[in-house]
Amino acid sequence: MEYAVETFSLTKIFSDWWGRAKVRAVEDLNLQVRHNEVFGLLGPNGSGKTTTLKMLLGLLYPTKGKVVVLGGESTESRISSRIGFLPEESYLYRYLTARETLDFYGRLFGLKRRVRKMRIEALLDMVGLKAVANRAVGTFSKGMARRIGLAQALINDPDLLILDEPTTGLDPVGTRQIKDLVLELARRGKTILLCSHLLADVEDICDRIAILYGGRIQSEGEVKELLLQTGKRQITTGNISDAAVEKIRQVVASEESEIEVSSPMEKLETFFMKTVAAAERQSQSTSGALVSGQISGFLRPDVSVDSVLDKLVSADVSGSEVWGSAETEAVDGDKAGSGVAEADEQLLERLTKRSEPSEPKAVVSEEGSETKPVEQMGAEDEQSSEDILDELTGDSKEREADKHQEGGGERGGDA
Amino acid sequence: MRSIWAVAANTIKQALRMKVAVVFIVLLVVLLGALGFSATGDGSLKGRCQSFVSYGLSLTSFLLCILTIVVSVYTLTSDIRDRQIYTVLTKPIRRFEYLLGKFLGVVVLDAGLVILFSAVIYTITILAPRFYDASEDERARVRNEFFTARAGLKPAAVDVSEEVEASYERLKKGGQLEELFKGMSRKEIMARLRKQKELQKRSAAVGRELMWEFEDVKPLDANESLFIRFKYDVSVNPPGYLVYGRWVVGDLRQIRYGTGIETPIYQYDRRDLIRTFYEIEVPAEAVADDGYIGVAFLNFPLNNTTVIFPLDDGLEILYKADTFTLNFIRASLVVFLRLVFLAALGLLSASFLSFPVAILVCLVVFFTASFSGFVLESFDYMSEDLSGVYSYTFRPLIRLLPRFDRFNPSSFLVSARLLSWVLVAKAAAFMVCIKALLLCFLALLIFSYREIAKVTV
Repeated sequence: MEYAVETFSLTKIFSDWWGRAKVRAVEDLNLQVRHNEVFGLLGPNGSGKTTTLKMLLGLLYPTKGKVVVLGGESTESRISSRIGFLPEESYLYRYLTARETLDFYGRLFGLKRRVRKMRIEALLDMVGLKAVANRAVGTFSKGMARRIGLAQALINDPDLLILDEPTTGLDPVGTRQIKDLVLELARRGKTILLCSHLLADVEDICDRIAILYGGRIQSEGEVKELLLQTGKRQITTGNISDAAVEKIRQVVASEESEIEVSSPMEKLETFFMKTVAAAERQSQSTSGALVSGQISGFLRPDVSVDSVLDKLVSADVSGSEVWGSAETEAVDGDKAGSGVAEADEQLLERLTKRSEPSEPKAVVSEEGSETKPVEQMGAEDEQSSEDILDELTGDSKEREADKHQEGGGERGGDA
Repeated sequence: MRSIWAVAANTIKQALRMKVAVVFIVLLVVLLGALGFSATGDGSLKGRCQSFVSYGLSLTSFLLCILTIVVSVYTLTSDIRDRQIYTVLTKPIRRFEYLLGKFLGVVVLDAGLVILFSAVIYTITILAPRFYDASEDERARVRNEFFTARAGLKPAAVDVSEEVEASYERLKKGGQLEELFKGMSRKEIMARLRKQKELQKRSAAVGRELMWEFEDVKPLDANESLFIRFKYDVSVNPPGYLVYGRWVVGDLRQIRYGTGIETPIYQYDRRDLIRTFYEIEVPAEAVADDGYIGVAFLNFPLNNTTVIFPLDDGLEILYKADTFTLNFIRASLVVFLRLVFLAALGLLSASFLSFPVAILVCLVVFFTASFSGFVLESFDYMSEDLSGVYSYTFRPLIRLLPRFDRFNPSSFLVSARLLSWVLVAKAAAFMVCIKALLLCFLALLIFSYREIAKVTV
């Protein structure tokens, strides 16, 4: 089983009622997604991305060709229990609340009540919908629906995550969170297949991509390789003097090449995130001075998400790969090309610091909402600082059990 | 199994929260309340009870049938149209499990609603007479003729085929066939002769006696009564349209064999109008221990006419075989069986049709099933001309329909007839075990092989 997803000359032709071929949506597609990579399927509208995903999932049958997902067919229970799927729009039961929605999908996976409850609370926390967990999903905005859609895709702790346009309808903060989440999941050994036409998103997170057009692969390969302009080189420096620039210019001229000098632009996304983070920090300090726990309903989800992301980041102390965590940044700070842009690290650092005062607040406000796992998590938070993804991942089931006992013992002691 | 229940629970939540079921429930509660006041029947207490039960149960059955069709079709088509099914079927749930979950959800919802509304109708029916000003006599009548479940026994048909054959041959030899039955086929002549002979067996000439014997009569309580329900017909109208007759009821074997009288024998001399139903009340102790009872009728000579008991409803003995409550429960069960069938039908049609089309198909089947007796009869009548084509094409199709009119539960309650467990079992076997199962199987087959995400325009 070399590939997580593999298709063999996959073809889908939509025909009309009389059987006449109308649309060749996918044609002779040979796709290979390796284990533990983030693979992006790109293409303009109508290029066959979603059709391909639907065939992978058994929602459509190929006209020709074959699909192998995780070594089998995705309609088999043993395979589908390892897949998480987020469709292009969050198709949810409008009359169910967020919590009921997750419970329903958890039941479909046959998860035990205790596991289900724990995961639901963790996921709600992660996608930042804890405050609205008892509201009918039909009343959610598109972005909120997207978050709950993502949560349902993660409830079974999937090995393969298939995301169809994961960031549509999300604000930049939400987009950023999803991207971080995807990277984090990839780091934990998951395979992620996503399709999108938002190129910036794909560029940030995908290891490899394939560009579809007219149902065929037009280009395929590693993002870095595809985008690398082999005929050019880029030098980034500190704020050096004009004299120094002139010296460099001469050196370049002696190589018979040209040089272009400008100040690097910040990405708009990074700028936006900074601004929002700053605004948030301000509003928090004021509310903190006035009363405790009075965070506005609109900001609250983001706050808790950030704290979760912090947990995600700070928990993995033993993690060898460094990824945006505050303490490891100090060690690796001088390594310029450590995978993530410097600005992003600054941002994460900021988020981490900012969320520290917010943390107890979230716990305080949630103590009122009688659910046990919350209390438990609040307690763990301080002691073992386990993160939510750990709770979700199968490989930490023992730890989960331990934790449960721990939590139980703790409560017993309190009583 | 867990995932089937998850889908079932979700289906029930959907029906209740999307207000589909709620609308029907509110409508039914209002209508039943109104019926409690407005259903007066013929004005008597019995008529009141009869019309309330009849309208109440029919209305409940009708509305729940429509509700079942709507909910079962809606739950599947909306999942497909709004595409929630994408996220459900990509989970480790097989398609047949999903469909079974939907079916189970609708059936459980139906069970709940049938229990709820049966309880409402039952309570109103039981309590209403207390608030109604009626004489003791009227109350006794309601007790005996409404709040009971009476089994009816009709005399077994006498085999007359040999006699008919003989008489036909005789007439043929005598050359009288042409004269008596001009231009009729043999089949038609035989039918006429048969009816004549059968009526002969049910008529008492002047001064003569007729006797019927019944076995397996099992009254619920020997202290209760049993009833002989009869209707006279005559060859010549007697003066004042009155017939004088003597009825002897009891274990008549005791007289015949002279064994001495152990169980009482009752005798009634009566004067009754012709072509009108009467009931003679006889203490149930007249029935012998082995369930035997004989009924004899003597045509007094002064009538001067032959007295005939019409073939289908001329004579019947009725006795309390069960309580009203149990009969009512069985009636509700029959309503529930209908709903199970319709749930299967709804899911089948929704498995490959869109909402409006599926609803239409289900309604057509529902109404045809409600008049299936009539439909079958009219086709049978037609079939004399196109028998070959018809009997191999339409008839099996129509036979596939359930026969709602044949198992109409409210008619049993109105006439206080026993709706036996046997009949309920029959309805269950035909409607659910065979027909609904077949529909479910078809639905599973279609649903398992269709492309869920296929967009059909």
